[in-house]
Amino acid sequence: MANNSHNPLNSASDESPNGNRQRLLEIQAQTANGSANTKARAETEPPRPALPPLLAASGLCKSFGGIAAVDNAEIQVAQGSITGLIGPNGAGKTTLFNLLSNFISPDRGRIIFDGEPIQSLPPHQIAQRGMVRTFQVARVLSRLSVMENMLLAAQKQTGENFWSVWWQAQQIQREERQLREQATAILESIGLAHMASAYAGALSGGQRKLLEMGRALMAQPKLILLDEPAAGVNPTLIKEICDRIITWNREGLSFLIIEHNMDVIMSLCDRVWVLAEGRNLAVGTPEEIQNNPQVLEAYLGQ
Amino acid sequence: MFGYLVVLVISAATYALFGLGLNLQWGFTGLINFGHVAFMTVGAYTTVLLSAQGVPMAIAVLIGAALAAILGLLIGLSTLRLREDYLAIVTIGVSELIRLVVLNEEWLTRGTFGVQGFPLPLANLNGDYKTNLMILSLLVLGLVFWGLEWLVKSPWGRVLKAIREDEQVAKALGKNVFWYKLQSFMLGGAIAGVAGAFYAWQSTTIYPSSFEPLITFNVWTMVVLGGAGSNLGTILGAVIFWGYDSLTRFVLPQIIQLDDARLGALRIMIIGLILMVLMVWRPQGILGKKEELTLGK
Repeated sequence: MANNSHNPLNSASDESPNGNRQRLLEIQAQTANGSANTKARAETEPPRPALPPLLAASGLCKSFGGIAAVDNAEIQVAQGSITGLIGPNGAGKTTLFNLLSNFISPDRGRIIFDGEPIQSLPPHQIAQRGMVRTFQVARVLSRLSVMENMLLAAQKQTGENFWSVWWQAQQIQREERQLREQATAILESIGLAHMASAYAGALSGGQRKLLEMGRALMAQPKLILLDEPAAGVNPTLIKEICDRIITWNREGLSFLIIEHNMDVIMSLCDRVWVLAEGRNLAVGTPEEIQNNPQVLEAYLGQ
Repeated sequence: MFGYLVVLVISAATYALFGLGLNLQWGFTGLINFGHVAFMTVGAYTTVLLSAQGVPMAIAVLIGAALAAILGLLIGLSTLRLREDYLAIVTIGVSELIRLVVLNEEWLTRGTFGVQGFPLPLANLNGDYKTNLMILSLLVLGLVFWGLEWLVKSPWGRVLKAIREDEQVAKALGKNVFWYKLQSFMLGGAIAGVAGAFYAWQSTTIYPSSFEPLITFNVWTMVVLGGAGSNLGTILGAVIFWGYDSLTRFVLPQIIQLDDARLGALRIMIIGLILMVLMVWRPQGILGKKEELTLGK
């Protein structure tokens, strides 16, 4: 497909040929050739202005004691995009995530998700509306099996209502069977199918990251917030994680990704937001960000 | 001898029931309830006072369970949003509060004089009252056990277990953590309320001093002994606890020449020791799963 040449992936790899990124590229090209409904990401750059952003937050503030962790920050995630969020350590990225998912309530600010304000909703309702987050240090439910971890994530389960457990046993059984199939498919795609009945606490660090992503997917969200999906993960697994993100993105899922691994950010993202000391520093395509002198100074350092 | 065995079975069944309520809260949901006896007090007093007024026995028990659940609701609403250690502190306070209310509101509970001569279930049936009560207690225990097993294996139970493991994850996956904790706390309380009714029926008289905090810690011992998170383990814990209790009650005086007070203290010491040994040798409890302990967080 021709539009691959405009892809941020390509331009990113023009800068500095990197093995990892190169491999990613090849894989994306392969899969793109195979599927007809490849996203026309490159033709509308910046992402289609006609569609309102899936997630738009503005004027977000949060102070801890006297320290403004997030100070009047803004972020947008376009429908169907993979958006990056970078910044030096302590820039407030994870706090911003916590504010977006309302794990910490913002002091000020507005968050619109899917056309509706969500800043005053409790975290579980935000998840129910289709915005699911993961954690910087992968959190699995140790003493539940990998399969149970997956099943838990499904939304609107009849069997989660106390009374339905008694009166709708058959429907619950039917749902459980369907969810199991769905979960098995996802587990196969992330290479954890053989671990389905193992305790999630027995997984390695990288496998936990994968499980956490699979679990988020199981909730069938519109947007997944990934907090450092590649941190502490070996290069082969990073590539695998990136592949999965690309595949799921093609299926229509949007991502907002915090990541310190620049290769990952540059190869995946349509747009990158840069945060420093709680404030927005820059926003743009990966190559714009890479060449932005302010960003270079604040983040890339030299 | 048979009569004693019957009493033993009723005691074990009552405590097993009581323990199942705690196991739902602690073993499955991770809620630290150090005031479990409060629910039992409410259930016991409500049942006997209502049935003494002529309310049918079954309805009196259900109201007792409902009031215990409402007590759970009140405690839960005020503390379940806080960190778990607050719940531990508040529950221990509430259980003493309830006991003191029962002690002092003499117009209702007759205070230290206690309540006697209240109607007993199956009393006008043929046969020995205690034998009938034993059968009833085993039936109710079986029913509650089956119901809880059904619940904890359902998606509802899966949410509870998820909260026990990491409530942030449950929240991030769209589960209303507070509401599920509340449900677990209320249901566990209601079961303890039913256990309270059996407690009253077994002793046929109840006093405020029957509901000391020690009862809570005894039931904790049973749950931990059997293996938290295992309903069968809780029942086994209750059986072992009562088996130990009566064994030492009869055997110990014949081996060691001590007066009653010291002997009583010795028995408690030994069970403490057993618990410590168990924690070192088998920290997951008798029926707990070993591999669960080796897992990283």
